[in-house]
Amino acid sequence: MQEMMQERGPNRPWGKYIYLPIIMIILFAFPLVNPPLFFLTLFFSVFMYVGLTESWNLLGGYTGYVSLGHIAFFSMGAYTTAVFMNRFGISPFATAILGGVFAALLAALVGYPVLRLKGAYFTISSLLLAVVMQLIFMNWEFVGSSTGLWYKLLPVSIEANRIIFYEVMLVVALVITLLVRWVEKSKFGAGLIAIREDEDVAKMMGINTPLLKMRAFILGAFFAGVVGGVYGYYMSYVHPEVTFNINTSLLILLMSFFGGCRTWTGPLLGAVVLSLANQLIVTFIGAEISRILYGLLLVIVIIFMPNGVIQYIKGAFVSEKG
Amino acid sequence: MLEGVRVSKRFGGLKALTDFDFLVEKGQIVGLIGPNGSGKTTLFNVITGFYPSDSGKVLFKGKEITRCKPYEVSKLGISRTFQIVRPLLGLSVIDNITTAVLYGRDNIGSMAKGRGRALDLLKFVRLDVKKDVPAQSLVAAERKRLELARALAAKPEFLLLDETFSGLNDTEIADAIKLIFKIRDELNITIFLIEHVMKAVMGTCEKIFVMQYGVKLAEGKPEEVSKNPAVIEAYLGKKKHA
Repeated sequence: MQEMMQERGPNRPWGKYIYLPIIMIILFAFPLVNPPLFFLTLFFSVFMYVGLTESWNLLGGYTGYVSLGHIAFFSMGAYTTAVFMNRFGISPFATAILGGVFAALLAALVGYPVLRLKGAYFTISSLLLAVVMQLIFMNWEFVGSSTGLWYKLLPVSIEANRIIFYEVMLVVALVITLLVRWVEKSKFGAGLIAIREDEDVAKMMGINTPLLKMRAFILGAFFAGVVGGVYGYYMSYVHPEVTFNINTSLLILLMSFFGGCRTWTGPLLGAVVLSLANQLIVTFIGAEISRILYGLLLVIVIIFMPNGVIQYIKGAFVSEKG
Repeated sequence: MLEGVRVSKRFGGLKALTDFDFLVEKGQIVGLIGPNGSGKTTLFNVITGFYPSDSGKVLFKGKEITRCKPYEVSKLGISRTFQIVRPLLGLSVIDNITTAVLYGRDNIGSMAKGRGRALDLLKFVRLDVKKDVPAQSLVAAERKRLELARALAAKPEFLLLDETFSGLNDTEIADAIKLIFKIRDELNITIFLIEHVMKAVMGTCEKIFVMQYGVKLAEGKPEEVSKNPAVIEAYLGKKKHA
């Protein structure tokens, strides 16, 4: 909120934001140059992580309720779209939203009991949500159980299919980021931040803390569900072990903490930098090494930069000047 | 205005409050004193809904609030400060108050309007010069004023103050006493306060409840209470006879 005030101050140059539309145009136009599939997928996964991390941050960053269950909502979205498209033949653009709705319903169902827990207890039960959901989908014939589900592709070439969902994911990530930014600067955001700072004081301020947490949880789950739906189309295949991979939950958390979970810019930076790094390390060095590096990074970030890289660098600048 | 009837609360085998009756009339400043651990803060926690009471009831303006949740109590017009001041440390001074204003009884939706009202409140407690400072860099006396401003931000009709004077020096206590009267007289807020600083209690309260082991020991005007043998015994121990 401090940032917000500075930003709205008269002396803040808006020119600073001019590069944003330029970057967006470049990203939108990127498929036109016919890039290798590797880069298209690389960028697609960057957008996906931006959407996931920003949506995770609504609850995890602003209220401090660190969830490891985000992957369950993401997968819920992916599976919902697959099922609705394959079994009922509904258009992919409608089913991605439906995926969000089902993820939000799941969040509403588990949110009431789980959000009463605090700290590590909340985190552990959210992790269990992801594990239990994975087991359910692994054993549920209707959704393909352990063989997974293939998507029916759109009646266009596989390349065009990829490009369409690349663009869709870019829009989804952009919309989520803008909405999260808006929440951060709204009354809703102020209430969420008060919960993080001191939940008892927040209650005494007249904040209906269970309701606000629930809203943040459901909204975050909805976004994650939409992202999951689009992801499914791009990959054209969902499988419980891949889609429900707990590592993704950890990655989301790390990205948010890395950039700094107190503002919308932190998850954005974290998702971009770390998902690029992750894909490159996995591709060129190996998945095992990447996991070790990530584990180390998480420890380093939490110990030395508890407020994230952005605040850390800002702090370094301030102390140099002073 | 605020009334408790046989309020009781126990934590396992410990009786923190036993059949405690109290009444605070509109416009009064009433004190609650007692040795450490006698149940004063527990009573405040029961009133504000942080602890459910085991039996008895609490009435505010004639309406029962015993089962209300903290945010509902706040919406009905009761605010409190905490014994150990708890500003939202990560936020600036004005953001602390703005959030409280937005979610207060006027339920303001616009951030700009909320910030305007927050600034007025900071002027009221004379903390406006520090408005952009992070709350964690305030000294104790300033934190107390921030806590007061935050409690006032909800536009309460009734204020519970938990040891607002502790840890202040003499000048600061004198200032705080003036502020308490200003809150009652200018904002028409009734005040119920827990206090150990006797100078502040004697200087502000027209009625005092004395509590020991969760039981009411005495009740009355400050001068009466301070002469009550049971009260003197509770604080100083029994005189040994030779």
